[in-house]
Order: sequence, then C-alpha cells, then structure tokens
Amino acid sequence: MSADPLKLAVAKTIRLKSIGFCIARLPQTERLFIGGSDFKVYEIDAALEKPELIEFQGDGHQSYVMGSVVVGQQLITGGYDGQLIWWDHEQRRSVRTLAAHDRWIRKMVVSPDGKRIASVADDMLCKVWDVESGQLIHTLAGHKPETPHHFPSMLYAVAFSPDSQSIVTGDRTGHLVVWDAASGKSLAELEAPVMYTWDPKQRRHSIGGIRSVSFSSDGQFVAAGGIGTIGNIDHLDGPSRVEIFNWRTQQRVHEISDPGYKGLVEQIVFPRQGNWFAFAGGDNGGFVSFYDASTGKLVHQLKMPMHVHGFVFNESEDTLYATGHDQVAVVTFKEAIPAQAAIPAEEPKPAS
Amino acid sequence: MARNDIPNRNLSQHDVSRRGFLGSAALAGAASFAANMRVLDALQTPTLAAELKRQQKSVILLWLAGGASQLETWDPKPGRITGGPFRAISTDIPSVQISELLPKMAQRMKTTAIIRSLNTRNGDHGGGTTLMETGRAKEAAVDYPDLGALIARELGRADSQVPDYVSLYSETEGRHKGGAGFLGARYAPMFLSDSMIPPNIRRLDSISETDHTDRAAFQRLLAKQFQDRHPRSVVSSHGMAYERVRGLMSSETLFDVSQEPQSARDFYGPTQFQEQCLIARRLVEAGVPFVKVARAWWDSHGQNFETHRELCADLDQGMSALLDDLGQRGLLENTLVLTFGEFGRTPQINPSLGRDHFANAWSASLSGCGIKGGAVYGKTDADGHTVVEGEAKAGDLFATIFSAVGIDPTKEYQVGARPIPIVDFGCKAIPEILA
Amino acid sequence: MLRQFCWMLMVMVVMHRCADFAELLSAELLPAELLPAETPVDQAIDHYIQLQLDTKQKQPAAMADESTLIRRTTLDLAGRIATLSEAQAYVAATETDKRSKLIERLMASPDFAFHFRNSLEGLLSDGQRNSPGDWREYLLKAIREHRPWDQMFREMMTGNEEDVAIKPALTFLRSRARDLDQLTNDTSSLFFGVNVSCAKCHDHPLVDDWKQEHYFGMSSFFQRIYLTKTNLVAEKFSGEVKYKTTKGEEKLARIMFLTGAVVEPPVVAKTPEQIKEENDAVHQQTQDDKAGPPPKPDFSPRAKLVELALQADQNHFFARNAVNRIWALYFGRGLVHPLDQMHSENPASHPELLDWLSRDLVAHQYDLQRLIRGIVSSQAYGRSSVWDSAGDPPGPEQFGLALVRPLSSRQYSLSLRLASLNPETMTATSSPEWVNRRDEFERNSDDLANQFEVPGENFQISVDEALLFNNSARMWDEFVRDDGGMLIGSLKQKADQSAQIETAFWAILGRAAQPVERSACEDFLTQKAANPVLGLRQFVWSLLASPELRFNH
Repeated sequence: MSADPLKLAVAKTIRLKSIGFCIARLPQTERLFIGGSDFKVYEIDAALEKPELIEFQGDGHQSYVMGSVVVGQQLITGGYDGQLIWWDHEQRRSVRTLAAHDRWIRKMVVSPDGKRIASVADDMLCKVWDVESGQLIHTLAGHKPETPHHFPSMLYAVAFSPDSQSIVTGDRTGHLVVWDAASGKSLAELEAPVMYTWDPKQRRHSIGGIRSVSFSSDGQFVAAGGIGTIGNIDHLDGPSRVEIFNWRTQQRVHEISDPGYKGLVEQIVFPRQGNWFAFAGGDNGGFVSFYDASTGKLVHQLKMPMHVHGFVFNESEDTLYATGHDQVAVVTFKEAIPAQAAIPAEEPKPAS
Repeated sequence: MARNDIPNRNLSQHDVSRRGFLGSAALAGAASFAANMRVLDALQTPTLAAELKRQQKSVILLWLAGGASQLETWDPKPGRITGGPFRAISTDIPSVQISELLPKMAQRMKTTAIIRSLNTRNGDHGGGTTLMETGRAKEAAVDYPDLGALIARELGRADSQVPDYVSLYSETEGRHKGGAGFLGARYAPMFLSDSMIPPNIRRLDSISETDHTDRAAFQRLLAKQFQDRHPRSVVSSHGMAYERVRGLMSSETLFDVSQEPQSARDFYGPTQFQEQCLIARRLVEAGVPFVKVARAWWDSHGQNFETHRELCADLDQGMSALLDDLGQRGLLENTLVLTFGEFGRTPQINPSLGRDHFANAWSASLSGCGIKGGAVYGKTDADGHTVVEGEAKAGDLFATIFSAVGIDPTKEYQVGARPIPIVDFGCKAIPEILA
Repeated sequence: MLRQFCWMLMVMVVMHRCADFAELLSAELLPAELLPAETPVDQAIDHYIQLQLDTKQKQPAAMADESTLIRRTTLDLAGRIATLSEAQAYVAATETDKRSKLIERLMASPDFAFHFRNSLEGLLSDGQRNSPGDWREYLLKAIREHRPWDQMFREMMTGNEEDVAIKPALTFLRSRARDLDQLTNDTSSLFFGVNVSCAKCHDHPLVDDWKQEHYFGMSSFFQRIYLTKTNLVAEKFSGEVKYKTTKGEEKLARIMFLTGAVVEPPVVAKTPEQIKEENDAVHQQTQDDKAGPPPKPDFSPRAKLVELALQADQNHFFARNAVNRIWALYFGRGLVHPLDQMHSENPASHPELLDWLSRDLVAHQYDLQRLIRGIVSSQAYGRSSVWDSAGDPPGPEQFGLALVRPLSSRQYSLSLRLASLNPETMTATSSPEWVNRRDEFERNSDDLANQFEVPGENFQISVDEALLFNNSARMWDEFVRDDGGMLIGSLKQKADQSAQIETAFWAILGRAAQPVERSACEDFLTQKAANPVLGLRQFVWSLLASPELRFNH
C-alpha cells in the first residue's frame, strides 16, 4: 500500500499524564513503548479500543526518559539520569542498567541492523554500544563542550544511516558530524548555524539547536531539524526548520523554513521506500509535515493535537505513531478515518 | 587584607559621617559642623563607633530579572511531575539539597540561607518588579524608594567619594532604573545602561585635568555666594551633587575590569554577568553600599530547562566566585549577597517545555553578612504549588535584609506629615535566617 | 506735672482704644464675611496674607529686587529666564507701573501659552514625561483661546471622540482607562484635591471625611469606561463596583461624589434581548477594529460627575482645587498643602483667602488666567527669598518669604539654551516672529529636558546632573561653543574684562555682578590670559552650572 501524505489525518489520540519524549513500536504490532517525564516506561497497545498504560517494572530511570528502541525481545531506553536500561518487553521488566554518560542523555537510537546503540548526551559525547553485551565500542568526541558564548553546550541528536555504516550527530550550536560507525572516525562536518539563536543584547542567552537528525533513505543525505531564527527567545517563536545536506560533498541541497508551523523539529523520519520524508515537532502546539525529498517542497502537513517529541512509522509506512506533550497520537495517511474522541489513559497497571 | 586598609574605609583619613551622628534631618545644615571632627574622639563614643561599624556594610543584589525558576535553583522537586528532569544534589549542609544546576553553590551553603516560602501574589513583570524592588505594593499617594536607595540612605556616607548605589544592567530586557522615591535624587542609582562605564564619568578629551579642576573650583566659588544667601533650602543639594563629581570621576577605575589581574578575571569567568560580579566586588571593596547586578532574562516560557542550563551555569559560576572572593578578602562578613527576581516560575510545565510566571511559592537566597549560613526557611508542598509553612511576603524579606545589615526594620521616615515605616505594614524579619 | 501725667494717661488710653478699634475693624472682616467680590484679586491676596502675618506678629521679607522680580515673573509666566535686553530694560525703566506692564507683556506673549501648557501637562500627567503630541496641542490651543477650566474639565471627561479638535482631550481618560484605581485616584486628586486612595481598603485611618464609600463612590463614576479596539474611550450600559469592607462584608457601591451626593442611575426596564444586544455591541467594540463609533448609553456616570462637580452647591471641591493648584505653581506651596490633602484634618493656611479666590474663580467662569494675573501682581508674590532680618523668618505657610523652587526640566533646558546664546540675537522677544523661535526652542528642548529630574516633593539635584554638566560633550561643545551666534562669540567681541563679566552675568543670571564676584571673575580670567577663549568658556560654563540659574528664587 503506498503512503499518501495528502490523506493525513489523526485517527486516534490517547491521553498521557506526563510528557512523552520517545516512542518505539514492536514490529508487526501496534504495541508502543513510551518513555517520558514521569521517569517511567510504558507499553500501550494502540490497536485496542481502550488502550491502557502498562508500566514497566524494575530498576528504572531517575529522570526523563528520552530514547526508546526495540531490538528483538528487548527494549532499550536512555534517560537524563545518564543511564541506558535494557528491558524485557514481554516481562516488562528491567534486565540491565548501564551508567552510560555523566550528563543528561538526550537521545538514543539503534542501528537498522540491530547490532549497535548510539547515545548522545550533554557530556558532548556520542557513545556507541554493543546491543547484546552492553559494551562500549566507541566514544565519539567531535562537539565542543561550550558554545561560542561561553555557556555549556548540549548534544541533542543522533541517527544511523540505513546501512548502519554511518552515524550523524547534531548539537546546540548547529554543528553536525558524520562518523564511520565501524572505526569511529569523523567523516564529515557540517554547519547549520541558523538553528542556534543567541540574543546578545536583551537576554544574553541562547535557544534552539539541532534537535533531530536523519539520513535519507539512500544514505547520501543528512537532514537536520531545529528552529529558525527567533526574535523573542522567551518563546519558541520561530519557523520550524530543516536543512538537508549531501554530506559527502558538504553541499546544502534543501532549506526548509516554515513560519506557518512554528517551533522545534523534534524528529525527522525518512521511509525505507518512497521519495518523501516526514518531520514533526511543535511549540505550544504541534505539527507533522511531509516533504518531497527530491524537490524539498511541502507535500502536506497537519496540526497535531500536541507538541510532538517523537514518532515512528508502521511497516507499510502509511501510519505514524507520535508521542509528545500529554498525548500519544496515531496518524494515518492512507484512507481518511474519522477522528475519534481522545481516550483518557487509565491508571497504569503494573505488569503481571 | 585588613579591613582598615581598604581605601575609603580608612577611618583616620575621612570624616565621620554626619548622618550617623546627627540624624537624617541635620544632613543639609551640618556641613561645617562635622568637617573638623577628629575620628579618634568619635570612636570613643560607643554609639558612634557602632554607627560607623554599621555603615561599613554593603549589599549586592543579584537580580534575576524575568523570574528564575525556584524548581531549577533553590527548591527542587525531583521525581515529581512538576520537578523537571534535573535532580537535587546534596550540599555542604547535610539536610539541604538544591538543584543540580548549581553545583558550585551547593558547596557554599555554609554562608547562604534560603527562603523557600515567598508568596507575593503578583505574577506580572511590572507589578512584581515594583513589589520586589521596593518591598511593598505600589501606592498612589507615596513614592516608595527601592532597596538600593534605602540601603544607600542608611549605609552610605554623606561625603562619600564613591557612588552609593550602582545598578549594573547593560541593555538587557527588563532593565528598570528603579528610583529613590521620596528619599530624593541624592539616592538615585548610578545606572549603567549602554555600557559598562557610567555615563559622563570620564573627563572629555577636549579639556585638560587642570582646566577641569579649575573650572569646578571657580563654579564652586561663585555658587557659594548664592548658597549662603539661601541656607536651609533645596539649594544645598546642588552643591552637594557637584562636590561629589571629582570623587565619582575617580571611581571610574572601579568599573574598569582590566585593572584586575587576569587570574582574578579568570576566577570569575568571561561572561558579562561574571565580569559584573567582579566589578561588584571592586565597588563594595571601595565602600559602595549597594550594588545591583542584574542577570536577564530568566522568563523561560519556552524551553525552561535549556534556558536554566545556561543561566544557572552563569549564576553558579559568578555567584560562587563572588562569595569566595569576598570571603578571601575578609569582606563577606560585612557584605550581604542576595538573589531573587520579580517572581518564580510555575510548577506546571507547558508544551514548549517552559514554565510561566508564578508568585505563589518561590525562593530567594541570602549570603554573608548577618545571615545564618545553611538555614532554610519555609516549605512548599511536594509539587511546589503552594507554601505550606512559613509564608513570607516581600516586606518580610526586606525586614530580614535590613536586620542582616544592622538597619532597624521598625524605623520610620517622616515624609511630610506622614510617618512611613521602612518596612511594609505587618511585615517583620525572619529570625531563623539571621545570625 | 499732674497735667502731664493725665495727658500721658489719656494718650495711653486713646492708643489702647485705637488698638482695640483696629482689632475690632479687622475682627469684623474675619470668618463671617469675606472681602467684597469687587476687590481686585491681588489686593485680596495681600490683605489676607498680611492679616495672618500681623496676627502671628511676623514680618515678611522685603520685596525682591527688580532683577529678581523680572527673572521670577518671566520664569513663571514665560517658562524661561528673561533675556539680557529684557532684564536690563526692566531694571532701567522708570515708570511706576512697570511691574503691571511686565505682567501684561508676558501674559500676552506666545511664551505664556507654551509655559502654561507645560505646567498643565505636568499637572495632569502627574509627573510623567513625554505625553502625546496631540494632547499637548489640545492644551496649547485651549490656553490660547482662554478656554475656561470647567469647559476643559468637561472636555477631558466627556469629550466627543468624533470631534477632531476635542478628541485629544480624552488622553486623560485614555491613558488611565485600563486601571480603574489609577483613574479614580488621579481624577480625585488632580481635579478635586482629594487623595482617597487610603480609603480603598478601609475607612481613612486619620481623616473622618473619607470612608470606603467615598472611594468606591468615586470609582463608580468611571467603572463603566472601557477602551475599544481602536483605543477610543467609551462607556458600557451597565456595571457596578463591588467592594469588601474591613469586616469582610460585600457591598455594592453607590455612585457618590466626594460631597456625599449620590447619583441614582435611572431604572430602565430592559428585555434580556435588549441587554444582550447592548452587551454584544460593547463586546464587538473591544474585538473589532472596524466596528464603527461605539454606542453611547443614555446614562453616563462620567457625564454625571461633570454635572455634579460643577453644580453650584457641589463645586467647592473643583473650584478650591483649581485655586490651590494654580497658587502652588507660583508660590511653590499650596494654601492647602500637600495639594491632594484637602480635608477637614488639613485646613488651609488662609481659609478665607481660599474661599475668596474660589468664589472669584466661579464668578468669573473659571478663568484661570485672571487668577494667575492676580497672583503674580500681588505683593506676596513679589517678596524676596532672602532673609536678612533678625530673628526667624515666617514659616512657608505664611507666604512672607519667597520659596526657592527648582526650575522644571523644560524651564531649565530652555533657560540654558537662551543663556548660552548671543544676547544680541535675542532682542526681538516682542516681535511677531518670536512665536516661531519660541516654538523651535520648545521642540528642541525636549531631549535635554529629559535629563533633568522632574521637580516634586523631596526634590534634590542628582549627581547625574552634576556629571552631565562636568563631562558631557553636549554641555561643553554645544552650550559654550565659540561661535558668533553664542554668548562666547559675543563676549569675545567685548572691549574688556569688565564688559565681558557684566554681559555674562546679565545674560545668564539676569543681574549685575556684585563687587566681590566681579573681582573673583577678573582674577579668574586674568589667570587664563594665555588662552583667553578657553578662559571665557570656563567662565561661562561656571555660570551656566550655577545653582542660581538652576532655581527660581
């Protein structure tokens, strides 16, 4: 079934009592794993009439859960507490914890071949781990610890290439590094400085940064998402922004700046098949936008019921599952389904 | 460095403050009386000696403009839905924890006290600023002076060669000059807006030092004729203002941070706020009774956590360097360092991951002079929505500040026919915070 | 010998009797009866002032010398110092009525309207600076047309927004419409001399006159005012003020004036549809910037306020406040002081005078300029500010010694500018072209004026001002520039030091130099003989920076 972004519609929303930061999906199902601001990890089955939040047990995170990926029988999460935690997602129980970073882990991803985890944190390091053993394979240091204005910097975004050979990382100041995943060597550096707004006069601090990165479906391009120049940095009052580079030639090929849909671009996803890509994010509201990968032009976009922090596709890539500020939303872009009323989340039940 | 070696604090060189001895009303007319008073005689009078000692104190207000989040500074709620992602860390006081964003200050709680229970009810920038600047709500009939003017009045010296009240606030959002209200322009701040050097403090290149001095002397000579014909009038303030010019001009060097060795500058750090903390130390060391260093702009409606990462890092470094430096120079016991802003921030986190204005349960810190280090006054509920113990108003904070530096908080000024207490009605100092 | 003794006794008795009689005569003119209405204003003022001085057995100061008098009168009526020509001509003139001629000339000059406008602007904006241009234009025009004060009040409270000439008058309401407390307090204070703000939270602790009822009663006149989306002042169809007493009782305020007079809104039966229509119309006004003129309800509380405040048996607040505030402009202190404390616990220093002047104001259609003329013509106004007699001077409330007053920021800015110019270019202040020049001075003085403190209670010169004079490029490069059009240029042309000193003193301070001053200046200029122009510049600077220029004395 081919995706038709023109048919974007919110099919279902599920209320959360917290902010959902990361979402993963068990293949071939609509079972979603959410991590968020209440430090917990939950499963929700979006296929159910009345999905319930089922809380994972064991040694959990001590702060916001920022990354969740499914690898086989396991779910791996990363959080602000600097920990990576492995869970058995059938048992819904932790099996391994790892003190991975000194500072807050902002994101973690798994390689498409399922062998490696990459985590990025505010220690400005990207660490590559073996999924099976939890061993540290590489420590990638290519981002400056301070911004040009003498403040501590943040390393927000990381992604693997579709062939699992490369990694891209993006930081607060708009600096991107592409790495060879096997050797840990830096392959290319790119700059997207517009993503970083420094107010030199009124507020003397900054806002923004690269919040999301992705490789294109063929691995040739790297996309970075964030926010454009902001006037009043008290608010996310700037256009959503994506820049796409041919990372080998270091040429920027597309620049997307959308003042109609303001805020941070928190996640960019390229499909396995198809000449489009999607990104989502928000400010006080939220959005998801679909663009043509060749032309860099807008195909279609939709206001989301919440600021989106993360989303994943289903196998046929005609449905996405998004999480964000106090909600999970299921968005289809096949046949339009009448949107249902939001289903309040029930009290989370402990795993049986 | 012994206290008496600090310029302008050396009692054998300068006249005793007339104000301290004669009381506020005699200020205008007392010029000739005190001019020849010998300090040694004065010191033999115990009340006068106490007055002198009191007048050597200073206050530095680190004004967190825009409203800093109490949850990301002094009153963290880790693990609560309102707590945000940052943890609480232990400090050098066993029972006290503060936000992990202030790790350096966590090692300096021995000289710092926190009030966690401010409920000032005004979550509006303008109204909140007026309230926290003056310690009371705005009133139609009375033009209240701000904290700086009050401290300048109470701790300053009539003949001071340095400014009484300096406000360091270059160009940032929320820059607010404040004012001396009914105390009069004598106590208005030296307000730095466009640059780090006060306006008009430097002699023009087109006039030589000699010419500048000659001119001033001649002006003074001519002015005296007029002043003598109008004693006991508003005219005397004119002469007093002009007399302070030379001294103030020479205090220009106090603002010049390049006068400090690089090691001192590195100790504080390179940001503007950190530099201004260093300048604040220089000013206080030279006898300036009140310095306001404003750090703007904490108003993190969006991206509260990212913003506080930056601003708290700046504050943590600047403030701890300042406390250490003051301590090393023996100045901390006579200098009160304060942090607060116009209000705090909401426990609720909005969809931009921001926090909004909140004045119902927020915090202030007090360090140094007259403060019981390690004290924590007041409690908020588990999520930080309300004060559950020790609710404090702006006036209570002010009464505590005054008490800490030896000013009687029950004091009153006579404004026309009306006695105006220095502290708002019904407010008093918090003894748990005071040494 | 016995004859001499009897004669002495008789003289003593007669003298005693005369004293009694004098007392009797003056006693007859006390409280029960005011001076006749036909008495000229200045004479009434002097009568009552002198009466009190006599009662308290105080001597007033001597009259101010002529240079001082023309300086003071010019500052107060024209908002600037007198030019060298004006000052010298006045002092040299021999006519016995030169003082009244001076007053006439100044009140007829374009300067008068500019300055009085600035004074009213300062009064009505309560010390705020830089009010809108059209509001300043409105005030200027009203003054030039001798518009009566009650009419101006009516225009400010109820003016028609659609009338282009009157619309700016609504600035008073417009700038306060979002803050009902401020609007209530300011109107009450500035137009009626009554600060009721204390009575908001509780009956006034010190003054029996003011209860919460009064505060919220006044507030009720304004409560229905709102601003439309296009910032027009409009009024709703309904609305009432609720308040809580100190006992926690909730009350509905009556529309009540300071006299206690209550206004009952008419009871009009309205259908729910009518009410909804009215509310919708009002709501639309606040949302839609293309909504057209706002609806005008039949009952307008603010119109009622004007009506009531000017009513013959209620107008004493309005009239007395006007008198008091105008009095304070010229004397530096009100007959009631502070100016917003008109109540029974704070009586006027000269109650009969206040009554007489208020009666006169009302009888002459609230003509403020008549009052002003009377004030500045009085002896009391012309007293010296220097006390060189034995004993203590009279207290300020006796008006026997002129107060030293700081110049307003505009007066100072203008005067500095004038003083720094070549006096020979400033001779045509009576010519028709002067109005343009004066207008230009006004406009160019704003920027500098903003550097100076607005005079108020507890006024002091700030050190910022001293630093400005000492170190700003403007003061040195602009005001003491060596240029033909400037005073320095003129001094350079003078034959000798003596002429230079005289010219500078007259141009800047409006008087001749004293011998002691002259020799000090000669010494100074001689010292600077190596660079005479620099010496002149420093000399002029020292005079410009003098307290004598800074104050009205």
